Order: sequence, then C-alpha cells, then structure tokens
Amino acid sequence: MHPSDDPHRAATLRIAVFAGMTEHVGSRVVELPWSGGTVADARRLVAERHPAAAPLLARSAFAVGSRYVADDDPLAAGDDVAIIPPVSGG
Amino acid sequence: MASLAHEARDTLGHVACTRAPIDTAAVLAAVRHVAAGGNVLFVGTARATSDGVATHALHYDAHEPLALATLDALRREAIARFDLVACAIVHRLGSVPPGEASVAVATSAPHRAAAFAAAEWLMAAIKKDVPIWKAEERPDGRREWLHPESAPRPGGGA
Repeated sequence: MHPSDDPHRAATLRIAVFAGMTEHVGSRVVELPWSGGTVADARRLVAERHPAAAPLLARSAFAVGSRYVADDDPLAAGDDVAIIPPVSGG
Repeated sequence: MASLAHEARDTLGHVACTRAPIDTAAVLAAVRHVAAGGNVLFVGTARATSDGVATHALHYDAHEPLALATLDALRREAIARFDLVACAIVHRLGSVPPGEASVAVATSAPHRAAAFAAAEWLMAAIKKDVPIWKAEERPDGRREWLHPESAPRPGGGA
C-alpha cells in the first residue's frame, strides 16, 4: 500500500506565514495534523502551538490560493493556505 | 512577451512585483498613450530614518500570488473609477536601501486631475489592501515588522 493511501496516516495542513508571523512561529510554514475542519479550527490550533503568535493571529485573515476565506469556511489537506497579518506595503 | 508569474498585464497597463531595483522610467513609459494628456508617476522611496531611529534598509515580504491579484484588481478598479487611459504598478520586494524606490504607480488620463487623483487613491488602497509587509532593518540586522492595528479586509481586493 502506498503511504499516502494509509487511512491511519494523518493528513497535513500546510499553512504559509509571512512577515512578523514568521518570527512568532520560527518558520515560513506551519504544519498541522489535519483530518478536516474550518479556518477557525486551524486558527485555534496554530495559537495553541505558537502562543506568541496568538495576538497577531487574532488580527490576521486567512487565504486559500489567491482568495480570502472566512472563519467558517472548510479547509482540506492540500489546500494552499496562508495567514495574512495586517498589511504595511507601499 | 510571455506573461511571467510575478506580473499581470493587458493593453491598459500592468502590475508586477520585483526583487530588482524598479525602473521607474519604464513604469511611466508603460502608460504613455496618444489619448492621454496627463501622466503621473508616483515613486515611494525608503527613508533613512523612521521616527528618528536609523533604518539600514526596508525589507518587504509578500504573499505574491495574492498581492498580484489584489494589485491587478486595484489597477482595473482605478481605470474604471477615474476613466484612466492606462495604469501600471510595480512593488519591490526584499531589501530596499534608503533612497531606492519601494513602489511606483503610473497613471495616464485625458486630463491631469484624474491622473493625480487615481495615483493618490491607488497608493492609499495599496497600503490598506495588498498583502505586502514592510520591516525596518536596524544597523544590527534586527528586523521590526510593521503590522498596523487595523486588520486586513477579508475578501478585499482580489
């Protein structure tokens, strides 16, 4: 059996992070074991793993690909998820 | 010219993100058109100090696909809202030394008032809606990321 077909192997949700969030989580990507859930679930799990990120996370939006998603939107392993903290370009 | 992953363009101009110095003359040239009577080029540059504190450089990070989609949506909205002839926006990413351009916005319109107004509207929108972030790099190499108190607008731009 191919490893990816193993139902006991937890799927992973990869979340890209940027700017100040990278310093709070120590990386440009957060990986969560994922058997399904919403943006709000991912938000809670990231805050539990990285308490230092919680205040900025609370002020951040989530995106999948090049569109923003709401807290009650579902996320699937393999989605191109990103945390978008308050912006400061220009 | 083939469309690159870090830019979007049509006959009314283009948007791009670049890690190389911005060719501001090329951004202005991109909106030149015989229908235009007013052409505005705004260039935002990195300051050597921020609130009196020395800044070695500014450093920009971005969610590039979402930044490009949002910049392109803003460009199209500006063209419609101000009846522009053309519009081009280029934002620099990575390290930007003092004096160098971090962003360039060019607009052209039949008359100057619309070109000026559109450039100002675009800069305000870019600072509010585009997923690009600025850090001030101190001389000791430390980066201080800037995240304004107001959260981004979910669903905004793109």
